[in-house]
Amino acid sequence: MAPRANGIGVQVEDTKICVVMVGLPARGKSFIAQKAQRYLQWLSIDAQTFNVGNYRRTEAPHPSADFFDLGNAEGEKRRRAAAEAAMHDMLDWFRQGGVIGILDATNSTKERRKWVLDTCTKEGIEVLFVESKCDDETMIMANIRDVKLTSPDYVGQDPEQAAQDFRNRIKNYEKVYKSLDEDGDENDYTYLKIMDVGSQVIINRIRDYLQSRVVYYLMNLHIRPRSVWLSRHGESLYNLDGRIGGDADLSPRGHQYAQKLPQLVADSIGEDRPLTVWTSTLKRTISTSRFFPENYNQLQWKALDELDAGVCDGMTYQEIKDVYPEDFVQRDEDKFNYRYRGGESYRDVVIRLEPIIMELERSEDIIIVTHQAILRCIYAYFMKKDQSKSPWMNVPLHTLIKLTPRAYGTDEERFSADIPAVSTWRGKGSTAKHENPTPGANI
Amino acid sequence: MSDEVPASGSPQPSPAQRATSTSTCLASSGTPEEDSSRANSRRYGTGTPILTCIAKFTWETFVLKAETLMETAPQKSRQTPRADSDMAPAQLYSTMSGRLFHSGRIAIVMVGLPARGKTHICVSMARYLQWLGVKTRIFHLGDYRRATVGEGEDVPEDYFFPNASPASVMLRQKILKKCREDIYAWLNHDNGQVAIYDAVNPTASGRLSLAKEFAKHDVQTLFLESYVDDENLLRENARNVKINSPDFEGMDPDEAAKLYLRRIEMKIPIFETMTENELNYIKMINAGQKFFYNNVSFNYLSHRIVFYLTNTHIKSRTTFFVRAGVATEEESFKADAPLSEEGHNYARIMCETILKHREQERESLKEKGGPDVPLRPLSVWTSTRMRTLQTADPFTERGYKVRQRSQMAQINPGVCEKLSERAIRRLYPDEVEKHELDPYHHRYPRAESYHDLAVRLEPIILELEREQNDLLIIAHESVLRVLYAYLMHCSTTAIPTLKFPRNEIIEIIPAAYQNEAKRILIPGLDPRIVPSSPEGVRITVPGESPALFPGGGLNSPPETLEGLTISPGSSAPSLVTSPPPQRIVSTSKEAVEDKLLDQD
Repeated sequence: MAPRANGIGVQVEDTKICVVMVGLPARGKSFIAQKAQRYLQWLSIDAQTFNVGNYRRTEAPHPSADFFDLGNAEGEKRRRAAAEAAMHDMLDWFRQGGVIGILDATNSTKERRKWVLDTCTKEGIEVLFVESKCDDETMIMANIRDVKLTSPDYVGQDPEQAAQDFRNRIKNYEKVYKSLDEDGDENDYTYLKIMDVGSQVIINRIRDYLQSRVVYYLMNLHIRPRSVWLSRHGESLYNLDGRIGGDADLSPRGHQYAQKLPQLVADSIGEDRPLTVWTSTLKRTISTSRFFPENYNQLQWKALDELDAGVCDGMTYQEIKDVYPEDFVQRDEDKFNYRYRGGESYRDVVIRLEPIIMELERSEDIIIVTHQAILRCIYAYFMKKDQSKSPWMNVPLHTLIKLTPRAYGTDEERFSADIPAVSTWRGKGSTAKHENPTPGANI
Repeated sequence: MSDEVPASGSPQPSPAQRATSTSTCLASSGTPEEDSSRANSRRYGTGTPILTCIAKFTWETFVLKAETLMETAPQKSRQTPRADSDMAPAQLYSTMSGRLFHSGRIAIVMVGLPARGKTHICVSMARYLQWLGVKTRIFHLGDYRRATVGEGEDVPEDYFFPNASPASVMLRQKILKKCREDIYAWLNHDNGQVAIYDAVNPTASGRLSLAKEFAKHDVQTLFLESYVDDENLLRENARNVKINSPDFEGMDPDEAAKLYLRRIEMKIPIFETMTENELNYIKMINAGQKFFYNNVSFNYLSHRIVFYLTNTHIKSRTTFFVRAGVATEEESFKADAPLSEEGHNYARIMCETILKHREQERESLKEKGGPDVPLRPLSVWTSTRMRTLQTADPFTERGYKVRQRSQMAQINPGVCEKLSERAIRRLYPDEVEKHELDPYHHRYPRAESYHDLAVRLEPIILELEREQNDLLIIAHESVLRVLYAYLMHCSTTAIPTLKFPRNEIIEIIPAAYQNEAKRILIPGLDPRIVPSSPEGVRITVPGESPALFPGGGLNSPPETLEGLTISPGSSAPSLVTSPPPQRIVSTSKEAVEDKLLDQD
């Protein structure tokens, strides 16, 4: 018999892919790299970014623009050494089972790209080049100010001078920069070229499904400002009893929350702008969302239904422990991978939420009214929470969470509705209904 | 962000009108023009608010559900009556108008010379979009041209010339006008969402004015060019598709292909590939080797289409469908029980049959003078349910790669778990009533509907399109139904009743415009484990054992569904020798049959 906790997520067979970023500095390469890494890790695909700049930095912490001049032999040598060190570490990581490695560097010359391709191919690793090309000067300077001046290279320097230095650094790259397949002799490469933040895109020779998934994900990214609001349903009758699953109605306090939620959301938006509301298909989320104004679009997604507890559906944790003692222990040992008998694991939930994440990346303002386990998974995606921790997070009832994705990381705000509710949090090993969360469980 | 058009603006058809239109489609005769006008007078109702919480269930919504969301070209309705009962299997959600609210109305305008695979792209894209729940219809300009100049007649020599005679220009205008009027009528009055306009559209100026004109009617345009500069690919396309024409009878295929391509050049002397920066376009180069897109205002559907197109490939490979073996606790979904002894026995025989079949196919190809090539590798996909995993054991033992996908778990029976039909009727009479009205979309409490299942399987569909190896899918019948419906273009109303008896392997072979399905008999099985799952009131998870349902399976009369003829009598264990595999051709073939000879 296969073990119950069979940790098998999205399988990628033996595919190993090196995603090689290409592009001049300040073109959002690192943004793309870290988004892709997060998406893949969330899907339990082992992914890791190798930033050549970080390797170079250990050698030359505060280099001036000259360092990046091709005429500067010393600089060129150091940069080459940094690329080799990053590559070396990445190959090591692949040998230990890594699946998608992201090489974050400018890789702006054909020679450098060929070197990366040959080195990876020798190791049986597919190469997907991802270029971000942008010639819009305002966009570039905006990016420099927002992102680059906080870079470790410029710690403690005058911002104006730093911006100018950075612009000069880019000029040095521009001298040798060749866009992917610019001369038509890189036509055999698998690549994605994104021009001017997605207004033109070239996709060349996609070889397998995993590559196409990464490409599709990157195509759906956008940088327009927006927020995602998350809320659990109002307190339900099952919450009061400490039962899991089911399709129970709201408690009286749960109904109070439903009444207050629209105002809570409106205050948080701060202006009179309609949102799109996503709920699950279960009574408690639909009921919680029933007082939103009519001009809010409401959609029900089956994919947002609570984690299916299979045979344990409708039981209290004490009952589960009594009836399925082994399962109870197994689940606490590996909560992310444990699949309820005839039900789901957190890992299964992540897979079914993948289309939701894709939609979220593409969409603008959305409020999602859903369930504890689902909310933990979505929250973990945005806030980069580790799988071993996210199933244990405390997500209190009657609280609205506002997430605002930024270039690097996501801002979070919380709004309590000030309506009391029971705690549904449970610590490891505990069966207690209504347990107070430990400080470590608070996110 | 909503560009939804309120449903109240569109005329509501009376039931009588609808009844007439349905029967018109089933009746089959008339000239293309008559049919086309009839098709256009048909009314398509508002989609059902499947995911809208206040889904009032009325007779009205039910009737509308029975209406179609998908259509083929107007002329084709006589050949594909079934298309009229089609709905969208994997619709994410729907709105009162039946449109995806964040996508608006779109015209996908094809661009490309003949023999660039445009029709193939149209047909598979339409199949995918319809499956997603987008009301899609293809308008082949060639149909309108034929209807105008008359069947068998040719257009004037200078028809495509830039300096054509006034008479030819007039004729061209007339044909274009008719086609566009139909597109507007369908988008405006029939709640259509995506009109695929299949024509050559060779010039930049023509495309710009087309986009302008559509914009005037509040329709966004997305141009999709199929551009081929690979000579081999071009000749192969011409060979595969065009040389069936009587013009080329008896000619050497290569010669015919060359002649055909030369003719195109003569006939359409000017073709400008797309470079218009102000238009939304996708350029597909050499059948998907490379994509270029110019995104002025891409929306949800545009991105989905790109993703879909990057995953389709034309290489031929086979997909096999088989059921999982019998489990020890057949009635329980939650138990997720292991296989019974018969189950293991079935797994072994099934594995041997399929491997033998593959070997035989290879041999017979060789005998017919085909190349002596090794078999394509076979991948095996199962769900994460115990019984499908264990059914794959014989393959694992032989070293085949078995992959598990949690999305492929069987339909969840919810409250119907372990209940007999009688008990369900007694406990949930209201639900039973709703279920019988719409077995595809209805969801018992806590259960999944077939529609839910299709949405869950959508990522699998794309992966399936991308897969290069031969593929064996071991799954519960409910999952096979939905996947089969996608590949064979079945209507949603048929999905809950498709039958996959355990003693048959379904083999699906792709071809240019349609997939073909074959059945391969698994000999020597205990007849008690053969029947397909019961249908009707129960959703079909538990109780696959015939003992519970003496009325189903073995004793029921042969049925024909979507061309899938199942005769349970043939499943007797005495039948040890395999009958010749039957060929089932999907209905989408008829939709494009005469496109094979068409020039745009």
